[in-house]
Amino acid sequence: MESSPRADQFDPAALATLGHIEVVARWIVDGFLSGLHRSPRKGFSVEFADYRPYQPGDDLRYVDWKIAARADRWVVKQYEEETNLRATLVLDVSRSMEWKGDARGLTKRLYAEQLAAAMGLLLLRQRDAVGLIRFDDAVRTSVPPSARTTQWRRLVAALAEPAGGRASDLAAALAQAARLVTRRGMVLLVSDLLVDPEPTITALRGLRAAGHDVMVFHVMDPAERDFGMSGEAQYTDPESALAVAVAAEDVRAAYRDTVTEVVAEWSAALAAMGASYELVLTNQPYTVPLRRAFDARQRRT
Amino acid sequence: MSFLSPLYLVLGLAAGVPLLLHLLRRNIAARVDFPAARYLQRAEQEHSRSLRLRNLLLMLLRVLLVLALAIAAARPLLSGIGTGHAPTALAVVLDNSLSTTAMSGGAPVFAQLRAAAMSLLKAAAPTDRLWLVTADGRVRGGSRDALLAEVARLAPEEGAGDLPLALRRAAAAVQGSALPARVVAVATDGQQTAWRAAPRVDAPVSVLVPAGDPPRNHAVLSVNADPPRWTPRGTITTQVDAPDSIGYRILLGSRTLARGAAGRAEPVHLRVAPPERGWQELRVELEPDDFAADDVRYAAVWLGPPPRVSAEPSAGPFIATALTTLISDGRAAAGRDLRIAAADVVDSLPALITPPADAIRLGAANRALARLRVPWRFGPRDVAPALVRGGGLEGIATSSRYRLVREGATASDTLATAAGEPWIVSGEGYVLIASPLDPAATTLPVRAAFLPWLADMIGRRLGAPAGDVGAPINVSPGSPLQLPAGADAIENATGTRRSIGGGAATAPAERGVWFILRGARRIGAIVVNVSANESALARLSAKALAPRLAGARGLAASRADAWVRDTFATGTHRPAGTLLLLLASLLLVAEAVAVRTARASAA
Repeated sequence: MESSPRADQFDPAALATLGHIEVVARWIVDGFLSGLHRSPRKGFSVEFADYRPYQPGDDLRYVDWKIAARADRWVVKQYEEETNLRATLVLDVSRSMEWKGDARGLTKRLYAEQLAAAMGLLLLRQRDAVGLIRFDDAVRTSVPPSARTTQWRRLVAALAEPAGGRASDLAAALAQAARLVTRRGMVLLVSDLLVDPEPTITALRGLRAAGHDVMVFHVMDPAERDFGMSGEAQYTDPESALAVAVAAEDVRAAYRDTVTEVVAEWSAALAAMGASYELVLTNQPYTVPLRRAFDARQRRT
Repeated sequence: MSFLSPLYLVLGLAAGVPLLLHLLRRNIAARVDFPAARYLQRAEQEHSRSLRLRNLLLMLLRVLLVLALAIAAARPLLSGIGTGHAPTALAVVLDNSLSTTAMSGGAPVFAQLRAAAMSLLKAAAPTDRLWLVTADGRVRGGSRDALLAEVARLAPEEGAGDLPLALRRAAAAVQGSALPARVVAVATDGQQTAWRAAPRVDAPVSVLVPAGDPPRNHAVLSVNADPPRWTPRGTITTQVDAPDSIGYRILLGSRTLARGAAGRAEPVHLRVAPPERGWQELRVELEPDDFAADDVRYAAVWLGPPPRVSAEPSAGPFIATALTTLISDGRAAAGRDLRIAAADVVDSLPALITPPADAIRLGAANRALARLRVPWRFGPRDVAPALVRGGGLEGIATSSRYRLVREGATASDTLATAAGEPWIVSGEGYVLIASPLDPAATTLPVRAAFLPWLADMIGRRLGAPAGDVGAPINVSPGSPLQLPAGADAIENATGTRRSIGGGAATAPAERGVWFILRGARRIGAIVVNVSANESALARLSAKALAPRLAGARGLAASRADAWVRDTFATGTHRPAGTLLLLLASLLLVAEAVAVRTARASAA
């Protein structure tokens, strides 16, 4: 039996050409959910809160059959406890995120936005309250967490806002996230982590101390991992203007070792504080990061 | 170490490029956005030692590579090492004198010398500068192939040439070169007489004299016709050089005058009065041997009636007595075709003119000379003693003479001088002497030379028809000569005719008698014989000749291969360009390996 293709397993760059981020995020989440083979809806509470239209995959136990009989439309009941997870997406939109190593690929920012949209939609589908913070050298956008049906639109609109400040002030963004998520919740950081580790670690440790689950998606272009350039040049950081003159062939091996070390250091530091860390390459389908986010959410609930 | 193209060393400055790139690396113009530059910086800091060492190694390899290529382009010469021979300025003196036509081992010596010269030229490299100098001193420069073709075309000269001149010119050619090795290579038969006057040159000289003894040779050393103008009687004297008795034949034109056998020490005299008239070829032939060039020798003689001469009393008693002797000998006849008289009484030409007996007649004498269109006048009398030079009159003294003053631009010859001034002059139809033929004025009338001189004057100078040179011109092949005015062609006994002009000319390369023609009339003869020295085939060995030509820098060889080897071994520095290119290749390989290793570890 042939299985229909799942959008979450598509090449991100190819997927981005197919439609607006809102549409593409739906495809990704739909594809991702269809691959779970089970309903994501669990932990429904007894305290009724609201109705919403039935969607494929909803547990039939929560269909309001009376309304179905009376109005000939299926709705499911929502309970207060269903929205107990408050998640905040912290998205890095600094200048370094505007880079891509392959002309046919996605910039780190486009990839991160797509991933954030998909994660937001996935969480909203599960009745979680989702907020968004976009930052570069300052917090550019701050959308408080909400589980309302209009929240998705707000998130998509916020993702479309301009950004691209020169530097990244991740610590400030994380402090803003701490202020937004007053209850214990979940912080999903999507960044290339080209920042000073110390203040970032400190800020993340603060979030953890406040009882938040922290999940870090370290977005990296494949060229940043492999350093596949050639020739001698001054390789310049567009944010800090740091320029390093090297022959790519000469330092490639050392560079790769360094990247491996950096990843290990981030992973170790985050693990030490109980945060999750996931390295995400911009040519990698969204399945894996979505799975990580989904599992983390499940653990949380 | 020296360089053939030192300007190319400038290319060595390019070695600064990798050095500058290494030192100024942080100023690389190309900028590439790379957000993870901090990782690069960290990688460079953490691996700086190994990266620096590798970059330093690569930089050194590249600098050395550029330097090796630049030095190779400058064509270095190194002492002791290198490939091939040093770039050499080589002048090959190829002896193609007549003596090299002598047979040795069934072939002419010249064939061996030519083969050796071709071997030498074939061993030359494109970096060598080459000249070929032949026995006549002619220098030809050019490429190896051009000179090989020239050697292949070369034939032996008909004469002895001038090997010392050839050697000097060869040495001058190589000494003018800037190449580090300069050598003169001489391929010769080693003939002693040819090299007797050879100079010692300031350049290494590599000498090849093929081994072997010269052939036994007999030769006609000389043929003399005395006097040069037979009226019509004369004597032929020939000298033969032969180890034993040998048969000879004497011919006048195509007619045999005599045959016989001649020994080494005895000249052959033949007094004859042939019926032929005009200029004729005389030839003495021997039986042929291994050196055929000197088995024939030529002479020329004019045959005709004696000039009819009258001597005026004003010429003096010595003239009258001498003329009587010449008439009795048949070398002159009584008549008025030619006059001998004092200037003040002479009234026609041709004439042998003496000064007037009395100085008071000097004006009349000069008026007579002007009337006869003689371009000379008697000037003041000079009583200072002086010796006569020229005209075969050395030793004659004069104590009284009139200065001869030239009038006009008509051509004339000065036959003898006294105190540096003309004493006997000659022109068309006249001979003018500055002193009276009186013992009080000059010793000429009382000396033995007087009668031959007078015979020559009336027989050759004045008795010859107008324009006739009077006596044959004896030259060697190809040598310069002076032809009489009005000559328009030369012709030999076989009828070969060549157009010429009067004045300076070059003798024909072919031996024999060449008659000088003015229209259809023979007005003289050129006798082309090779020097008798060429018949002496005794040789110097290469070991004896080489030090004579170049002292300690002389190299001797009796075989062509040794000669070729010795010639190119004179340069102590050899080209090292190939070695440097090899080194550059190795550096290139090392650089490629280093880069590849770095990239393999990077991958």
